[in-house]
Amino acid sequence: MRKIETTLPTLLADIGTFYEARKWHFLSVNGIDLGEGKIELQWIFSRYGIKDEIVIYYALSDYTTPVPSVVSLIPSAFMGEREIVDMFGLTVEGALRGLYLDEDSLPHPLRGES
Amino acid sequence: MKKTIQIPLGSQHISLLEPIRFKFECENEKIIGVDADVGFVHRGVELACTRSFEFKQVGYVVARVCGLCAITHSLSYTLAVEKLLGYVANDRIKYLRMLMVELDRIHSHMLCLAHTAENAGFEALFMQIMADRELVMDLQEAISGNRVQFDFIAIGGVNRDLTPELSALIHKNLELLSDKIDTLLGLFDNNWSLSLKYKGVGVLTLDQAYTYNALGPLARAAGLATDVRVETSDFPYEALGYTMVLESTGDIHARNFVRLREILNSIAMCRNIVDNLPSGEIQEKTKGKPSGEAVVRVEAPRGELFYLVRGNGQNMLERVRIKTPTFSAIPAMMEVFKGSEYADAPAILASFDPCMSCTAK
Amino acid sequence: MKFFIPFRKKSPWILHYNAGSCNGCDIEILAALGPKFDLERFGVINTGNPKQSDIFLVTGPVTYRSRERLVELYSQIPEPKVVIAVGSCTTTGGVFRGMYNVEDGIDRYIPVDVYVPGCASTPQLIIDAIVKALDILEAKSKEIEKPFKLFGAIETIGNKLSRLNMAKKVELHEKN
Repeated sequence: MRKIETTLPTLLADIGTFYEARKWHFLSVNGIDLGEGKIELQWIFSRYGIKDEIVIYYALSDYTTPVPSVVSLIPSAFMGEREIVDMFGLTVEGALRGLYLDEDSLPHPLRGES
Repeated sequence: MKKTIQIPLGSQHISLLEPIRFKFECENEKIIGVDADVGFVHRGVELACTRSFEFKQVGYVVARVCGLCAITHSLSYTLAVEKLLGYVANDRIKYLRMLMVELDRIHSHMLCLAHTAENAGFEALFMQIMADRELVMDLQEAISGNRVQFDFIAIGGVNRDLTPELSALIHKNLELLSDKIDTLLGLFDNNWSLSLKYKGVGVLTLDQAYTYNALGPLARAAGLATDVRVETSDFPYEALGYTMVLESTGDIHARNFVRLREILNSIAMCRNIVDNLPSGEIQEKTKGKPSGEAVVRVEAPRGELFYLVRGNGQNMLERVRIKTPTFSAIPAMMEVFKGSEYADAPAILASFDPCMSCTAK
Repeated sequence: MKFFIPFRKKSPWILHYNAGSCNGCDIEILAALGPKFDLERFGVINTGNPKQSDIFLVTGPVTYRSRERLVELYSQIPEPKVVIAVGSCTTTGGVFRGMYNVEDGIDRYIPVDVYVPGCASTPQLIIDAIVKALDILEAKSKEIEKPFKLFGAIETIGNKLSRLNMAKKVELHEKN
C-alpha cells in the first residue's frame, strides 16, 4: 500500500498523469472524518495482475470546499462520488444527493458530531 | 413529439430478489438510456460499525450487510483488524477460512445460474439447479451450524473445527456436485432455447470492461484477467490449485460459463484443502486494540470486496469503509443495458448477479 | 362465492418483498420454494403481482425508502390477506435496530399475523409459518363471509344520532 499526498486543486492533474485504464483498477472514493470540520479524502487504485499493489491518493480538506470530479478521467467514479456527497454532505460537481438518503434521513451521517 | 417511452422495472418485480428500480428509456423495443435507483436497502451499517458496536462485535454486524457473501464480509473485516493487531493466523485457520469462502462461492454462483435460467423462462432448470445447490447448503450447515449467515470466522481464528466425518461428507457431496456441474456445462452450451436467450445478448466488450472498471466474473467473461485471489498474498490460493477462468465473448453465456467453470475450480480447491489440512489450533488469543490503517481485498463471489479499517487504539473504530463488488459493477451494468432489447433486461440483470444489500449497505 | 373457498385454502399465492434485509432470508424463501423443501406442494406459488396474492412475505427492517412501497403493496393485496414477517430484523429490527435509516420492524407500518424468528430463518421455519398462515387465512375468509345484521341500538355520538355501530357480524352460534 502506497499513500501519495495531493491537494484538491492539483488532484485532476495528478490522477490524470497517473491513471491508465489498462493498468490500474479504480476502487473507490473514500472519506474519513478527522473531527473539527476536517476530512481526509482518498482515491484508491489497485494494479491488475500484481500482488498487493494498492495506491491511495489522499487530500486533506474541509466540508465547505467543493471537491473536483474525476468522472472525466474515470467514467465509473460517479457512484463513489454520489456516495460521499450523501454520506459527508460534500459538494462534488455533477453529483446529486439522494443515492441512499431520503429527505427525512440524517443529513450527513458520517460527518463527525462537531 | 417525444419519440421514446419510459418503462420502469422494479422496485418490486417477479424477477428481482431485492429492490432496485430501473427506468429504461426505450425506442420501440430497444433500450437507449438507463437510470438506476439502488438505495432501497440503505440501513447505515458503516456508521453503526463505528458508533454502536465494539471492534470485536463488528465482524458479526458486517456479515449482515449481505446474506449471500456474509462470510467474505466477516473475513475481510477480520483480516483487516488482525493486520492492525499484528496477528498472523496459522495455516489451519487459513485453510478452514478458505474452505468456507470457496463453499460460499459455489452456492452463490449456483443461485445466480438458477436465477438467470428462471429469468430466461426456463423454470425447470431453475428447480434442477436449486436442488443441486442443496448439496452445498447441507455442507455449510454441517460445518458451521447454519445454512446462511454462519458466523464462522472470529478475530483470532474460526469458531468450529473440521472433524474426519465432516471431511468424508465434504468429499461425498462435492463428488456428486461435480458430476452435476459437468451435466450443466453441456446443457448451458448446447441447449438451443437457452442459446437464443444467452448467446450474443448483453455483451460487455473488453474495452468497456477496462473503462468502467468491471470486476469479478463480469470482467473475466469479457477477457479481463483480474482476480483478487491472485492479486493478494493473504491466502495460498496458487498452492491449492487455483486457475483463472477466462472467456472472451462477454455475453450472458460467457458469464454463465465463467461461473460454472469457477464452481469446478472451487470444488477442486475444496478437495485439496480438506486433503492437506494442516494441524494446529483453530482459535488463538489476540492482544491489544487496533490502531492504524489497514486495507484488505478479498474476492467475493461477485468480485472484489474492499475494506478499509482505521482504529486509534480504542474499543471503537474510527472508520470502516466497505466497498462492495456490485457497487463497482453498476456503471458497467448500465452500459450493457444500452442497446439491448427490453425483453432481455431481466435475464441480463440476473446474469450480473446484482446484490443490492451489498451495494447500499 | 362459496365455490371458491376450498380452492383458496389449497392454493395461496405469495408475494415477496424485501424491505431492506440482507438477502439471507430471501434466498431461504427461494430455497423453500425449491425442490428439497418444496413449498409448492401446498399449492404455493410466488407471484410478482400483489393483486393476485394472498400471503405477503416481508423480509427486512423497513428502510426509509421502502416504507411507501411496503404500504402500497400491502394495500393492493385483496382481502383476506395474511402478513408474515420473516427473520429477526423484520420482527424487531434485529441487528439493525437503532441504525439511522431503518424503522425497527414492519409492524410499525402494517399489521403482522405471523412472526418468524431466526437470522436467517431456515426453510423449515418458513414452511411452518406458511402452514400457520393458511389457518389464519381460512379464519379470515370465514370472518369476511359472515353476514351483517342490525343488532345494536341507535347511539348518540357527539350530539348526533348515529347508526354506525348498529350493524354487527352474525356469530356462528347465533346462526344455528
